[in-house]
Amino acid sequence: MEKGRAVCWNGRVAGVGGMRGLASVPGYVVMQPTTLCNLDCVYCYLPLRAADRRMPVAVAEAVAADANVWAAAGRFSVVWHGGEPLAAGREHLTALMAPFAAGVEQHVQTNATLVDDAWCEFFAARGVRVSVSVDGPEDLNGQRVSRAGRPAYDRIERGIGALRRHGLPYAALCVVSDPRPGLAARLYAYFLELGCDTLGVNIEEREGVNERANGHDAAAVRAFWAELAAAWRADPRIHLRELEWSLRYLGAVLDGTDGGLLPRTLDPIPTIGYDGAVVLLSPELAGFHDPVYGDFASGNVLTSPLSALLGSASTGWVPEFLDGIEACRASCPYFGFCGGGHAANRYFEHGRFDGTETEHCRNSKINLLEGVLDHVRRH
Amino acid sequence: MSDDTDRLADRILDARAELAPLLEEARLARLARSEGPGTDGGAVCAWNHFENIPTFFNWNNRPR
Ligand code: SF4
Repeated sequence: MEKGRAVCWNGRVAGVGGMRGLASVPGYVVMQPTTLCNLDCVYCYLPLRAADRRMPVAVAEAVAADANVWAAAGRFSVVWHGGEPLAAGREHLTALMAPFAAGVEQHVQTNATLVDDAWCEFFAARGVRVSVSVDGPEDLNGQRVSRAGRPAYDRIERGIGALRRHGLPYAALCVVSDPRPGLAARLYAYFLELGCDTLGVNIEEREGVNERANGHDAAAVRAFWAELAAAWRADPRIHLRELEWSLRYLGAVLDGTDGGLLPRTLDPIPTIGYDGAVVLLSPELAGFHDPVYGDFASGNVLTSPLSALLGSASTGWVPEFLDGIEACRASCPYFGFCGGGHAANRYFEHGRFDGTETEHCRNSKINLLEGVLDHVRRH
Repeated sequence: MSDDTDRLADRILDARAELAPLLEEARLARLARSEGPGTDGGAVCAWNHFENIPTFFNWNNRPR
């Protein structure tokens, strides 16, 4: 749907429920054990990735005070993200994980280059769930490079080899910079061979310090997703996030239950920066500063409990973002599928939080659903 | 009253015959991956509780 097009209100648009306001308890927190990354991927959004600013244990203790209570009441996870979380070292990560109760799930999102036998033993001993960032076979991984600009693929492959040797299940996240036909089948075949159990495909986004344009030809993006759907269908061993969600939505429309598919409220997904600063909803906003919005932080866990900071999210940019969600609900036919655009995409594409359509949502929501429909109609 | 949402829904409903076998294949694939309701393993758990898929495999709010 184009921006500015007049929209008739009817029962169906008004009937898309969910995503109203922020939940008071998150499902997970994202923690930044260090800002440092040992790679320097071309599309990375992290501003401080060359600096080793480490999270003090006091920050983890402060987060754990709430997380342990939440985990006792329901499923709750900590996702160690970065920087490259393993660049913090096993000793420091051990100290940061220590304050969390056994019931808190631990996850890492890693570039895999540092994974070796010792890390695999660390993951196995603590039940840490691992997700690796890899963009496909070697020639498609050219953007994942070392600080000296050298391809990191051989080290990524070695790390994944260690996970396999230890029989550890893992997920993969793949960034696609140029979605087009001819690419998706190759990518899916690669990930089948790689042996991941879950796959997420991210079309490159313009956010953080990555200012590369992310507009693509709609027909090419649709063809990419249609091809991925066909490849997945031929061997659906992998949980392919984009396909699973598309099919769940399409099935709900057929059943007439699509109006109630979205979560009732938005998960605030707090990101805890290395220094304890809390940024809600979008990890990509952490570490940034804007003349109008300031540093996007809702506070710091070293001075206020995380649960208290979540309760005071009615200030700053968050209300403007919630207006943006309502604007999506009111204007976009894909809202029931999408749930409304993400904060970082709105901010980095529009400069504010209450807009609706972004290149990101065209690439990863609208043309995804249309591509899956194209596949279905052609099959 | 016909708006964009209705047109999208209509297009989906029109594809029912082609969608149904794909949805069934997906259901069987989930069972084969042990992602049936009530199971808990790997990065994806509890299919029926999609709000509760941790890491960046959560669709909302960050499909990352
Ligand atoms: S972000 Fe989602 S709901 Fe908003 S305009 Fe884009 S597709 Fe529609």
